[in-house]
Amino acid sequence: MTAILVKALADLRRRRLQAAVIFLTVLFSMAAGTMAMTLMSQTRDPYQAAFEKQEGAHLQVAYNVSTDLQLLRKTPTIIGASASGGPYPASNIQFRFGDRKFYVDAVGRANPGGSVEILKVTSGRWPLANDEIVLTRSFSELNKISVGNRVKVTSVAQTPTLTVVGEVVDIDEGSADLSSQRAWVLPAALPALATPDSSYYLMDYRFGTDPTSGQLQSSVDRLRASLPPGSITGSLNYLLIRSIFNITNQILTGVLAAFSIFALAATIAIVATLVTGIVISAYREIGIMKAIGFTPYQVVGVFALQIVLPALAACLVGIPVGTLASQPLLANSSHALGLAYAPTFSIGLDLLFLVGGLLVVAVAATVPALRAGLLKPVAAIAKASAPRGAGGRLLRQAAARARLPRPVVLGIGDAFARPLRAILTLVTVLLGVATVVVAVGLPRSFELINNSETGAGNYQVVVTRTSAYADSDVMRLLNAQPETARVVAVGGENVAVPRLGDPVNTHLFRGDSSRLGYMVIAGRWFSAPGEVLAPAGLLHDAHLKIGDSFTGTANGQPLQLRVVGEVYDINNLGHSLFMDLATMASVKPAVEPFYYDVTLAPGADASAYVRRIATTQPDLLDVRQSDTSLIAPVKIIDLVLLIIAGVLALIGVGGVFNTLLLNTRERIRDTATLKALGMSPRQVIVMVGASAALLAMVGGLVAMPLGLSLHHVLNDVISSSAGNDTPPAAYGVFNPLELVLMPLLGVVVAMAAALVPGRWAAGTNVVEVLHAE
Amino acid sequence: MDGRTLFRAFRDGGGGNGMSELVRLTGVTKVYQGGITGALNGMSVTVERGEFTAIMGPSGSGKSTMLNLVAGLDRPTSGTIAVGGTDLAKFSEAGLARFRRDHIGFVFQFFHLLPNLTALENVLIPAQLKGNPAPERARSLIDQLGITEIADRYPARLSGGQQQRVAIARALINSPTLLLADEPTGALDTHSGEQVMELLGQLHRDGQTILLVTHDAKLATRHAARVISVMDGKIVDDARLESPERAPSEVIRVRGEETSR
Repeated sequence: MTAILVKALADLRRRRLQAAVIFLTVLFSMAAGTMAMTLMSQTRDPYQAAFEKQEGAHLQVAYNVSTDLQLLRKTPTIIGASASGGPYPASNIQFRFGDRKFYVDAVGRANPGGSVEILKVTSGRWPLANDEIVLTRSFSELNKISVGNRVKVTSVAQTPTLTVVGEVVDIDEGSADLSSQRAWVLPAALPALATPDSSYYLMDYRFGTDPTSGQLQSSVDRLRASLPPGSITGSLNYLLIRSIFNITNQILTGVLAAFSIFALAATIAIVATLVTGIVISAYREIGIMKAIGFTPYQVVGVFALQIVLPALAACLVGIPVGTLASQPLLANSSHALGLAYAPTFSIGLDLLFLVGGLLVVAVAATVPALRAGLLKPVAAIAKASAPRGAGGRLLRQAAARARLPRPVVLGIGDAFARPLRAILTLVTVLLGVATVVVAVGLPRSFELINNSETGAGNYQVVVTRTSAYADSDVMRLLNAQPETARVVAVGGENVAVPRLGDPVNTHLFRGDSSRLGYMVIAGRWFSAPGEVLAPAGLLHDAHLKIGDSFTGTANGQPLQLRVVGEVYDINNLGHSLFMDLATMASVKPAVEPFYYDVTLAPGADASAYVRRIATTQPDLLDVRQSDTSLIAPVKIIDLVLLIIAGVLALIGVGGVFNTLLLNTRERIRDTATLKALGMSPRQVIVMVGASAALLAMVGGLVAMPLGLSLHHVLNDVISSSAGNDTPPAAYGVFNPLELVLMPLLGVVVAMAAALVPGRWAAGTNVVEVLHAE
Repeated sequence: MDGRTLFRAFRDGGGGNGMSELVRLTGVTKVYQGGITGALNGMSVTVERGEFTAIMGPSGSGKSTMLNLVAGLDRPTSGTIAVGGTDLAKFSEAGLARFRRDHIGFVFQFFHLLPNLTALENVLIPAQLKGNPAPERARSLIDQLGITEIADRYPARLSGGQQQRVAIARALINSPTLLLADEPTGALDTHSGEQVMELLGQLHRDGQTILLVTHDAKLATRHAARVISVMDGKIVDDARLESPERAPSEVIRVRGEETSR
């Protein structure tokens, strides 16, 4: 073993606590970084692999059921598709399983194969008879419906019963918790299940190479131009589906990457603080090392090595941990894509992290260690370790003027006696507190948005009717209930918007829809026919702004619309319209609502209400309390944020702890003198605690605006990735008391962290310390 | 135990220059960890109020240990130490800190000024720790000690003699019952050392009880009224000098023994 290694190992043994701090911070930063990078690099590939394997459709188009089938068969040629599937007859159906009702798009298809959208049967088999149905695995798992279960179709008067005979994975639709689902029956079985107003033909198209968004849009435009008006009722492209598939992993990747950078920055700050501190406290030792023949580089090597060694250990643990931690999420993606899960990671990426992490730590350690290398031996031996002179004087004077007790005054002065160290410590505190602010704020913003989407507090019951039960009957039934305070009927139609490839799903309201809780970001809610609201995604892509008028197409007819407001809606990544049902009725007189948001009178028993309404028409009405719970991806993101905040807060505490440890060790002679002069152990602890409190308070105060800005930015990033602007209310989720309490909590935690070095300093043996001098 | 309460009776009972017992060591032994022989071996001695006592002896004789024990900076292995009639063993660590703050002034060989405080701030520290800041007294002490000019300087910019004067002012700020000085001239040049000793002599004449540790017999005999010689943790001589400056011979003999070793 070389002299450098022997000395570095000996120093490591002596500085176990500091080695532990380095180990933990590097571990967290490496684990999070590897996890983020693994997710980022491995998420896209499985989707692409599954898409190729299943011959996924680049474009799916829904056609009006009255369109000529011969024309539809020619459509692949019109757009130059290399392969196609369909036309498949399809219809939206409702079925009942147990006491729950579900909506799916039933598609008539003879087999799961073909040249586009091959369905992978994961259990059971394809239907052989007209009373059999196949569901997506995602839907079956979410709703706990298994092969062999029987479901009753309630959207047609005959209410036929179907047996679930298989589960498939369909690459051309999102997962069941985020998007509506398809089910498949034999083509011959469909007529008995279909209702005229919800029937359509589905065509799948695949191109020789992956088309761009623009190419897809022009394909739809060409189809529209070559078919009779109103033939195209909807379309869906693979880019959107891929985004929906990956959105959870994408957001998580962003959050984790940000965290990893934070943790690495905190690590650099801690390493630099630590090495500076060690160098200062070891001046005499450095002098002796040089006197006995260590070269300047060897001295630097000793200091760098004692930091790099625990960092190496942390990398060796952290990188595999990060890779492993990303696996459940990747396995989840593989499962959703119907791919066999195989552990996915990149050795190259892991090695890159190992080398990168070590390099960053080594540089952070070497720069301050150079000071040790450059010291002249005699000066080093003679130089005292504690900071001298006016460092922290202004603070001390200010504290003295505030008539604070002397130990507090001294502690406050000590906190900034070494400005560089104080700043580096502040960085760790700042990152910790800012992350906590984000981790507190973002879930609240999510909840707020979720509440607006689910009408929490604005309506309590959602009633959905089948076409066999008339709208007027539903209204009569609901209005007859004494608890009913307000009913808003909601329908949906697709509207083609200029410059947008896919027809846009439109929310049509009848009743006082302005009180359903949708968040209007700018402008106002519609108040007259012809007025619409849209999310930012649509406004941006269609080059529209509030006040603009445009001509959409619905039911094959032009529909004059004027944008009066921007609304928040994450469905279809911000491609939707909100308007009065009467607006649509002008071009489609038969349009009717199919579900009803019911607001109950205060104090009404919602579950009793639901039971009562449900029993009046068990097959024709689906009645349930409004589901305001968060969707699974949001819960995962919330949890990850919470863990990240916890870890960064710990790193922040570690930073303060580390600095206090260095400060108290450096000042041990001063502390011994103070004890000799009559400072009690408690006063010593108060002095160290005051240092910690000041660092945490300053860090916390700077961190609050930073945290709030970060919360602002992350809200924007997440909202915009879902095609929306952030609702102003989502920014203002903190109350003033919390903004004060969060930094205060930081102060309390830092003071708790100060107890260890504080007690150590308080227990100083005066005689030994002063004698050693 | 609260040092302040304990010592009130002692203080009220004392005062003036009338001789009364202030410090009593009874059979005090101190063995350091790993030490085979004790630093102090059954030492018994008393110090009267108003006395200027010098403890003299060679390095390792136990004189500093004795001073540290009297200051409550360390605890004896066995035996009792009473200051003002109160056994120091009764105090907790915090109680000992209050005891030092209220009753002991300590002057160190290497001054031990806090490097990041000015001279004036250093002087004020013990009073502030006591919760009784006394800026006027600090100023007046600084004036008396002739360091007015350097009151706002940091220790790094002071000479050794100036630093020791600051340390003495700091030791006196709480009007201690007992002033302990451990080799106060050890790190000073002859001239500065002489000035510091003059200062201690003046304090004694003003009624201050002083316990001085030194290995310099000349200094001891010139200023102290009583010289206790220590060797191997035991008292080998205890001389009260009627007129210290004129009768040093006995003490010189002990010093001579040290130098001949």
